[in-house]
Amino acid sequence: MSVSEDFSREAEPGRGAPRFIPPRQHFFEILGSVSNSQAAVLAVLGVVGWLGAWELVHFFTPEAHQKFVPGPGQVISEIFHLIVEKNFVPDVGKSLYRVYLSFAVACLVAVPLGLFMGAFVKVKALINPTVGGWRYLPAASFVPLLLVYFGPTDLAKLTLLFLGCVFFLIALILDDVLSVPKELIESAQTMGASRGHIICRVIFPAAAPRILDSMRNMIAVSWTYLVIAEIVAATDGIGAVMMRASRFFHVETIMAGILVIGILGVMTDIIFRQASRILFPYTFMRR
Amino acid sequence: MKLVEPRHPAAFDNNSIAGQSYNQLEAPICVDRVTKEYLGGRRTALDAVSVDINANQVTALIGPSGCGKTTLLRLIAGLEYPTYGDVKMHGKSIRGPGPERGMVFQAYTSFPWLTVAENVARGMKIQGVPKKEQQERAEHFLRLVHLEEFARSYPIELSGGMKQRVAIARALAQNPEVLLLDEPFGALDAQVTWEMEEMVVEIIEREAKTIILVTHDIQEAIYLADRIIFFTRQPGRIKADLQMDFKNGRRFLKKEDLLAEPGYLDMEKQLYSMMREEIKGQTS
Repeated sequence: MSVSEDFSREAEPGRGAPRFIPPRQHFFEILGSVSNSQAAVLAVLGVVGWLGAWELVHFFTPEAHQKFVPGPGQVISEIFHLIVEKNFVPDVGKSLYRVYLSFAVACLVAVPLGLFMGAFVKVKALINPTVGGWRYLPAASFVPLLLVYFGPTDLAKLTLLFLGCVFFLIALILDDVLSVPKELIESAQTMGASRGHIICRVIFPAAAPRILDSMRNMIAVSWTYLVIAEIVAATDGIGAVMMRASRFFHVETIMAGILVIGILGVMTDIIFRQASRILFPYTFMRR
Repeated sequence: MKLVEPRHPAAFDNNSIAGQSYNQLEAPICVDRVTKEYLGGRRTALDAVSVDINANQVTALIGPSGCGKTTLLRLIAGLEYPTYGDVKMHGKSIRGPGPERGMVFQAYTSFPWLTVAENVARGMKIQGVPKKEQQERAEHFLRLVHLEEFARSYPIELSGGMKQRVAIARALAQNPEVLLLDEPFGALDAQVTWEMEEMVVEIIEREAKTIILVTHDIQEAIYLADRIIFFTRQPGRIKADLQMDFKNGRRFLKKEDLLAEPGYLDMEKQLYSMMREEIKGQTS
C-alpha cells in the first residue's frame, strides 16, 4: 500500500476502515442505554399495560360484583362527571389549600430549626432528642385529640397535616444541612465571614437544593395524610367526597378520588422539580 | 544530612521593641512550642513544635502521612487550637480564622451557587470592598490564574484543576498577608498538578506573598519552596529545616529547568531518604 493511497482516504470518515457494529443491546442490559424516543414508548407501554390489566380484572369480575370493580374508563369518566355535575372543583381546591398551607407552615418551622440545629451543635443537642421522639408518634393518633381541641374545623385538619410532616421535615433538613462540606464553611471562615454570613450566605445556599428535594419528598407524605384528615368530620375536600361515596358504595367515585389525589401529587412533584431547575440552575449544568 | 535546630521564638521578647520589629519584618507567624493532642491525649499530632515562618517566602511543610503538617497549617489558619503552646501572628496569639490568612483546601471549596467571578469576589465582599474594586480585582486575579474566559461560568462546569485555580484566585483576592495551601493539588492528576505548580511560580513572581504549603510531594516542595520543614511521623516533630540555597533565590517558570540545576538531585535524594526513614521507622 502506498502513502498516496492513505492520503486519498483521509477525507472519508474512518479512513476506509469498516464501521464497527457493536453487539445488540439486551433488553435487560446492565449499564445499558435508552434513547428519549425509546423511553417515551416504554413509558406509554407501562401506562397502557397497567390500564389494560385493570380493565382485564374488571372484565373478568362476575356481573354481580362488577359494581365494586369499575374499569379505568368508568373511573376516568367519573372524574369528569364529578367535575361537571357534582361541583368537585371546590373540593379539590380545598384539599390543595389544606396540603399546601399546612406544608408551608411546616417548612417555615422546619427550615430555620434544621438550619440552626445543623449550624449550632448545642442547639442540636437541645432540640434533636425531643424532635427525634416526635417522629415516632403516629400523626393519625392525634385525630381524637385535635377533634377535642379544635372540633371539626379546618384548623384541626391543618394541624394534623402539619404534625404529619413537620418532624420528618426537620430531621431531613438537619441532614441536608449537616451534609454541607466542612471545607466550604471553613473557607468562608478564612475569608473572615461572620456567623450570620456563614449561616445565611454559605450553609443555607449550600443546603438549599437538597432542602428543596427533601420538601418534594415530604409533601408526598402530606398528600397521604390528606384523606385521614378529611375522612374525620369533614364536609368538603377530596377525602370527604370519597367518604360520602363509600356510604353509598359508589366505588368508582372513591377510585376517582384516589386517582385525582395521585394526579395532584404527581403535579406537585413536577412543580417542585421545575422550581429546582429555576432556583438552582447550576445543579443541572454539566461540564 | 543537615539537621537545623529551629530557632526558638521564645528567644525574642515580643514585648520589647526589638522583638516586635523582628516579628513584623522577618516572621509574621511564630509557632511557639506547640503540642496538639487528639482523642484526649491518646494521639499526639504535633509535639512541642517551634518554628518561625519568614515573610515573602514559600515555606513547605512536608512529611509522611499523619505527621501533623496539615494540623500545623490548620492551627495557623485558626481553624483549630493548640493543646499546649501558642501560634502567634505579629506577636498576637491566633484566636480564630481571619482574612489576613487566606487558605486553599485540598477539597474543592468553590461555592457552587456563585459564578467563578462571584466566587473570587466573595472574600472582598465579606470585607466590604467597594463593588467596583471587587470587580476589578476579581478580573485581575482571574487573569492571573488564566480563567478570565470562565468568569461567568459556574464551578460545576469547571475541571478539578480549574476549580483549584478559582480557589487560589479567591484566596489571593482577599489580599491575605499569609497564604496557606493545604495540599492544594492533592486531588488533581499529575499533568494538571504540574501545570498548577508552574502557575503558582508565576503567581509568586507577580504577587509577593508569604506562603505556607503543605504537601507530601517531594518534587513539588523543592520546586515551589524557599524552605522545607520536614516533619517526623507521629508524634510530629521537626526533623529537618532545609533552605533551598541551591536555587540561589531564583524561581523556574519551567519545572524541567529546576531538574537540571546542580544541587537539585542531592536535595531530592536527601528528602527521599528522610521520607524512607520515617516510613520504615528506622535509620539506614
